[in-house]
Amino acid sequence: MTTIRIGRRAALAAGVAALASPAVVRAQADPIKLATLTPLTGAGGPYGPVMAKAAASVVEEVNKAGGVLGRRVVLVSEDDQTNPEAAVRAARKLIDVDKVSAIMGTWASSVTTAVAPLCWESKTFLCTVSGADSITLLPHQGFLIRTQPNSKLQVTRVGEFILSLGAKKAFTMIPQTPFTQSTFDILNQVLPKGGCTHQSLIYDDKKTTYRTEVDQALRTSPDVILANGYTPDTVVLLKDLYRAGFKGKVLGFAYSINQKLVDQVGQPEVVEGVYTFAPSPAEGSSAFEKAKAASGSANPDPYTCQVYDHINLVLMAMANGKAATGEAIKENIRKATVSGGKIVDNAVDGIKEIMAGGKVDYAGASGPCDFDEKGDILDCKFRYDQIKAGKFTLVKIA
Amino acid sequence: MLSYLLFIATIGGIYGLLALSLNLIWGGVGMVNLGLAGFFAVGAYASALLTTIGHAPIPAGWLMALVAGGFAGLVVTLSTTRLREDYLAIVTLGFAEAVRLIASNEIWLTRGTDGISGIPGPWKRALGPDFNAVYFLIVVLALLVVFFLMRRIDRSPYGRALRAIREDAQVAQVAGKPVLRFKTEAFVLSAAIAGLAGALYGHFTSYIAPDMFLPLITVYIFLAVASGGTGRPAGALVGAYMVMTLLESSRFFVEWIPGVTAVQRAALKELLIAVALIVVLRLKPSGILPERMPPAPRPS
Repeated sequence: MTTIRIGRRAALAAGVAALASPAVVRAQADPIKLATLTPLTGAGGPYGPVMAKAAASVVEEVNKAGGVLGRRVVLVSEDDQTNPEAAVRAARKLIDVDKVSAIMGTWASSVTTAVAPLCWESKTFLCTVSGADSITLLPHQGFLIRTQPNSKLQVTRVGEFILSLGAKKAFTMIPQTPFTQSTFDILNQVLPKGGCTHQSLIYDDKKTTYRTEVDQALRTSPDVILANGYTPDTVVLLKDLYRAGFKGKVLGFAYSINQKLVDQVGQPEVVEGVYTFAPSPAEGSSAFEKAKAASGSANPDPYTCQVYDHINLVLMAMANGKAATGEAIKENIRKATVSGGKIVDNAVDGIKEIMAGGKVDYAGASGPCDFDEKGDILDCKFRYDQIKAGKFTLVKIA
Repeated sequence: MLSYLLFIATIGGIYGLLALSLNLIWGGVGMVNLGLAGFFAVGAYASALLTTIGHAPIPAGWLMALVAGGFAGLVVTLSTTRLREDYLAIVTLGFAEAVRLIASNEIWLTRGTDGISGIPGPWKRALGPDFNAVYFLIVVLALLVVFFLMRRIDRSPYGRALRAIREDAQVAQVAGKPVLRFKTEAFVLSAAIAGLAGALYGHFTSYIAPDMFLPLITVYIFLAVASGGTGRPAGALVGAYMVMTLLESSRFFVEWIPGVTAVQRAALKELLIAVALIVVLRLKPSGILPERMPPAPRPS
């Protein structure tokens, strides 16, 4: 009997002590856990580290301002190794051991598709930057959003850009990816409308030379080639195109043709005049400036901007839902971008406004961040660059 | 935490099946099979396709995985009867790559790099959160059956003949052992087990894609068998769980190191795994549980 009474007293005393102590101490006792699952090694290795860093800086800012719902936020960063098998193990650890309420920043489409079922089964929210159309068609019950425009939207814009270059014969060279078939289908629709023929070939992205592929492409005498691979294979492909004496225009996605590619190629004449294309971050917006500071990079790539938006949206969703669960994030993620609300560019200001009973309209670093019911982004700008003397020069943002 | 441990123990069990498969062919007959990931993939795809597109019950999928894995093994052995050692290793490596390329390019059958999602798990809806525990038991059961089968082979005259072929195929041939038949049978059995492991993996995680069957997984299993003890089923099993423990525990280990960035942690994790394996093989060159040669029976 006595032992029980002491137990109750102790519990009461502990409870009183906890309530009486300053909010900071309570916040530290019971933190909210969130995670990034970005590629720190493997093919996505150039992007993941900066993405994780941007998210960590946002969390640091929010903690300095007192956290969310009076609780501190802890961000756990795991490596998905750009490999779905390893990613599943890492996600399992985040969900079961760390008990995070949201996972952000999955990059490769195969990784996102592998991790998504674990998330919706455990009611963990997933924010991704993968582009494959099939992802938002998974039965995710609302536990998934993506800030990357789907491949239909992207490839349609690419097709329009190819036409604007005055192309009559376009050729696409692409490895086998989740968006390969849809790229062909969309280009075969868009290009003929502008009087341009389209041919294509699929190559193996792990080869060390593409001489035969290049010969095959050049036999059709194309005036525009769309080089639609990842960085390592595109390095080889561009060199082989140059060696084969291709004089037409080359166009590629900025996720593969980037500064790293230019450095790896090492010969400015190989990449001279190459056009690049990317979903554009909202450059010039105040959130973009914030993302610059958070990532410590003067020119953050679209994925970094998107992860900056993920973490801000998730934090504000928790504030709106007055709870830190995946369920609360799912119910409230779209309430962080209510039109007519106060326009904010970071979670600290947003949480302050929400706590004061107001509504917020988050204007993100990657764009407006409005999602349809499947979790796809509604609108996004695209940016076109051209490499001139080894430098990326802006052609247009539209 | 418990469901995480069960998850890891289940994946460890699947690695264990792969290690037993490799141990039979590499430790037993001395044939280097670098195509393990290929047989793993064949089994995973066979079962996933039969149960999703064919709507067959899950046990039928597992049976199909055994058959498909074994058949792939038969094709590989019969087409490589004249190859030994390095040459066989190269062909098997090529086989695994071919399987991966077929899986990513024959979209009508395999859905390409999108992979196959929504692979059913046994009683998954009814079990809810207990699914991991039940599936763990299923994998353990499969593992035990295969383990005792392997040990039986290891200690039988049949296993002795396999070892004789490993030591010197020519001598075995002279002694009247049908070398080709022994090799084919062992390879088919080994490939079938790898196929079964693939099927168990697919129905557990509900999703497979060609990227999951990279040569990296073959490397993990070679490490497991080499550090556990080549030529002894128990060694392969211990090695598989050791590799899995290293892969996962290093996550928690590096979290305690202060002042490193996420990228450095990821690199440190890989480094730790490498160092641990080097240490094991330095201290125990023939593995944790080295092969035991039973004395030859006395002539009666």
